[in-house]
Amino acid sequence: MTALPTETTVAGATQSVAPAKKKPRLIGTTSWYVVALFICAVMVVPLLWMITIGLKSRTAVFDIPPKLLPHEWTWSNFINGPKAIHFPKLLLNSFVITGLSVIGGVMTAMMAGYALARLRFPGRKMWFYLFVGSMLLPGVVGLIPLFQMYKSIGWYDTWLPLIVPAFLGGNPLFIFLARQYFLAIPYSIDEAAKIDGAGHLRIFVSVMLPLTRPAWLTMAILAFQASWNDYLNPLVYLYSSGKWPLSVGMASFISPFAGKTPDWSYYMATNLLYMLPPLIIFFAAQRYFIQGLGALGSTNQK
Amino acid sequence: MTAVTTGGPANRKRGRTRGGMSRNAGSDVRAAYLFIAPAVIGFLVFVGYPLIRSFYLALTKYNGLTDPVFVGLGNFRRLFTTDPAFWPALRATGYLVLLYVPLSLILGLALAMFCNQRFAGVRVVRTLAYLPVVLPAVATITLWKFILDPQVGLMNTILDRLGLPTSLWLQSSTMSMPSVVLVMLWGVGGTMIIFLAALQSVPTELYEAAKVDGAGPWSVFFRITMPMISPIMLLQVILQTTAALQTFNQPKILTNGGPGFSTKVLMLSIYENGFPTLGRIPQLGYASAQVWVLFVIIIAVIALTAKFSSLWTYSDSTSD
Repeated sequence: MTALPTETTVAGATQSVAPAKKKPRLIGTTSWYVVALFICAVMVVPLLWMITIGLKSRTAVFDIPPKLLPHEWTWSNFINGPKAIHFPKLLLNSFVITGLSVIGGVMTAMMAGYALARLRFPGRKMWFYLFVGSMLLPGVVGLIPLFQMYKSIGWYDTWLPLIVPAFLGGNPLFIFLARQYFLAIPYSIDEAAKIDGAGHLRIFVSVMLPLTRPAWLTMAILAFQASWNDYLNPLVYLYSSGKWPLSVGMASFISPFAGKTPDWSYYMATNLLYMLPPLIIFFAAQRYFIQGLGALGSTNQK
Repeated sequence: MTAVTTGGPANRKRGRTRGGMSRNAGSDVRAAYLFIAPAVIGFLVFVGYPLIRSFYLALTKYNGLTDPVFVGLGNFRRLFTTDPAFWPALRATGYLVLLYVPLSLILGLALAMFCNQRFAGVRVVRTLAYLPVVLPAVATITLWKFILDPQVGLMNTILDRLGLPTSLWLQSSTMSMPSVVLVMLWGVGGTMIIFLAALQSVPTELYEAAKVDGAGPWSVFFRITMPMISPIMLLQVILQTTAALQTFNQPKILTNGGPGFSTKVLMLSIYENGFPTLGRIPQLGYASAQVWVLFVIIIAVIALTAKFSSLWTYSDSTSD
């Protein structure tokens, strides 16, 4: 429980956190657990139900009244469902697009954050405010001009519009997080490295990157999530179904095409596979997810 | 926002201007420009240019193939006076925001307070509450589309077994928007996490002092918790409202705007004008005008929230 405040990336690095505090108990133990059970059920039951649908036969899905558990377990849905949308191909597409945009987004945000936090140059404040300000700019404003721009340079129906912006500091939130983290590192470390004759690139790569591991891991996870889950951008920029990432492929799965009833049991089985990578990352690196947003919550505190 | 930079780093800054920095100033500037170059280029190409270009396109008639034709405020005139779909879109968007934002803030804060207590298993609750946020939007929204299916969906099955009234959910024009909001609220864990961080940064001494003074739970909430987290509340109001105004995935996948115009929010209307289904001509100028209406609404919301924030946010006069 107390892991959150002490490990919050930005706040934790600069502010001393009160030692294990005694939290006030607002309600009695029994009622707390009743409510807790209800919350857990709301979050988990839909997912469990998804799995049971994925295991039902194609017709059993439409039984009235619906049954909560499958009558016969149709494991073949996990083979036939993915086959119906060429799952391996789309999975590979998703991995390439997501992988590259994670690398690009994290790298350029770390570089910009380093410059904004630790180097003096004219316009430093101005760029910081422009980057932060662009966080509030609605993404839709750029959609149409960018679409036309990509079309005129031949990027329409390629992955480039989904990848290249990441390599150009595409997420201002990451720049902000990187800067905050870099500010918290003692300056004497750079001084020592400089005396040893290290240039900025050396300092950045071999001193700063190891020190800021939690920061860029957090960003990498958030970037993975954003790209893996992105639906609007691939929907707009990709026309050929062979180039789609899973998000667009999964959505096309159930869109009623030419009056055909969507195949829910196939869909749910495939959906589980689509959810697995973010799910695995979430459980493996949970604290980084929470840190990323927690940092946003506490850095803006005062 | 800059509070994190005070304290230790402040001393550092002083040391820097006095010490070795001036010697390396030239190399610093060169390195800085190299480090920041990708982000600056990205800002100019992907933020600056589209912003200006989109404003120009809003004043033109443009199908994406032939050159844009300048029409002045013609698009806006058509939007506000003759387009039968515009006001319903604006109304649907407003309805969504008014329904979603307060509920998300109240539930998010309640959940955060619930998870900010010492009970065995609180971590599990927190993790599970955050779980839906991590899952791909397309996956969870489609799942909910099936859960809300009136005949075979889980929702009506459960309500029916409990003897409660069922609903047509997404297929009813009165329930469609509340259903969309219900699906959005499944992701309330995102709001919770930020409130949780805010709650945990409230100094415990304040609660202890209140306890000594014999304050009840309600006065503790309204006189300590709320004032202390009000800056985060302000941030949340702004972020949630701007995000809600741009809702696209849920109505697109759940209802595609229907039934009727009941869930056709502005973003969906922009998408349909700018990127229509095959056979129809894109109206990029017109869609850009809609984008700018949305943009102006967003700026107005941010400005108004910030302007009136002094009425209800607490600021610590001792901090800089």
